[in-house]
Amino acid sequence: MMITHVDKPQRKLQEIVAQRFDKSVSVPEIFFVSEAAKISQVCWAMAKRFHQGGRILAFGNGACATDAHHVAVEFVHPVIVGKRALPALALTNDSATLTAYRVHGKNAESEFREQLKILARPVDMALGFSPDGKCENVLEAMKEARGRGLLTLGFAGKGGGVLANAGLDFCFTVPDDDPFVIQETHETLYHVLWELVHVFFEHEGLLE
Amino acid sequence: MRKGWTHNIALRENKCREMYQMNNSNGSKYDKLFYPFLFEGGKVDVKEVLRQVQQSTIQKCQEVIAIRKATMENNSQLIISTGIAMAAAFSKGATLFAFGNGGSTSDAQDIVVDLFNPLYHNWKQLPAVALTNDVSVITAVGNDVGFENVFARQIIALGRKEDIALGISTSGNSKNVIAALKQAKKQDMLTVSIAGYDGGEMARSEFVDFCLITPSDYVPRLQEAQATVYHTVLHVVQAVIANPDLY
Repeated sequence: MMITHVDKPQRKLQEIVAQRFDKSVSVPEIFFVSEAAKISQVCWAMAKRFHQGGRILAFGNGACATDAHHVAVEFVHPVIVGKRALPALALTNDSATLTAYRVHGKNAESEFREQLKILARPVDMALGFSPDGKCENVLEAMKEARGRGLLTLGFAGKGGGVLANAGLDFCFTVPDDDPFVIQETHETLYHVLWELVHVFFEHEGLLE
Repeated sequence: MRKGWTHNIALRENKCREMYQMNNSNGSKYDKLFYPFLFEGGKVDVKEVLRQVQQSTIQKCQEVIAIRKATMENNSQLIISTGIAMAAAFSKGATLFAFGNGGSTSDAQDIVVDLFNPLYHNWKQLPAVALTNDVSVITAVGNDVGFENVFARQIIALGRKEDIALGISTSGNSKNVIAALKQAKKQDMLTVSIAGYDGGEMARSEFVDFCLITPSDYVPRLQEAQATVYHTVLHVVQAVIANPDLY
């Protein structure tokens, strides 16, 4: 009797854990199998930009801001000894700059677009995260980036929202609504882009 | 001064390039496995390069899936126990302090925002602070008393015995993360750690109450599995807080 009483809640928690892991195992498989060809094209496009001196400018809101930081550290300070440092910046780091858009009557929703206007060069790459594809400030920044000739990369989920139809060079949509699995799949995606962009540096003829 | 500094950076960059080229010409086990075409010589066929990159992409995805499965098999009970302990601490008023270096900083900040501004509408907002946010504090402590103390110093200043310290280190050996966990235990806090490899020192330290390990020695993949681990812990925390009968 006692054992049943203890077991039932444990079973409930075990179910929660199992469901969480099931999602984190099944969604990436679907995503990467269907997107592998596009991923290889993006690696090539990014390698060309890096070859010309381009930098990644990454941005996103909330949890996605941490992904923007992660992208920056991945490229700037590689975990694998001997991989060359590549330029990447997160537009989410500077609390003074970000909050500055809240004063002087400026449009606070345009913090990424405004930073791109000042920082971006045409040869750069804009990497915007928006799990539902509807983050206004990400969409505005992407529009600005397109207008300036940057390579535009969108990371979305939940059907892709507006971002998937914003005329980006490449937009990835994780086919699920769960914010955690969208984020985890994005993490593998930017890790893979970082790992495989190096392949193209070995073939300089492909970078012109 | 500045010229010398720039020169040093340039030397290091050159060294990196040399090592990179050396690695590739020698062909590390890793490179040979994933980029076999680099060692075949001859002219480059772009279609072939793209095809190999696609294959490699799918292989990397399968690797993270395997690590997640292994983590689930080895750790599901420990994840539940960790979540229950954290939920108990939160229900007594705990604040969670999260810290790590590099990509683990992103994870620490991710945990904080997931607690502070949950993405699921029925989740409770919980107090959490990332110890990597204030660059003034980090650089002041790092410059004055060493980088090893950047998190421990903040635990001394901010931590109370009812609080939670959560340290992330892919190797399990990051000195500043270990120092902060040790300090947190000195202050009777609940100490939780997330590590890769075999858990390193964090897995063997008595000042760590819970150490959740993603068993892999390749940082990008184990880090992706770590995200699943702490997301799952948060699910357990919220389930227990919503329904205390669950433990």
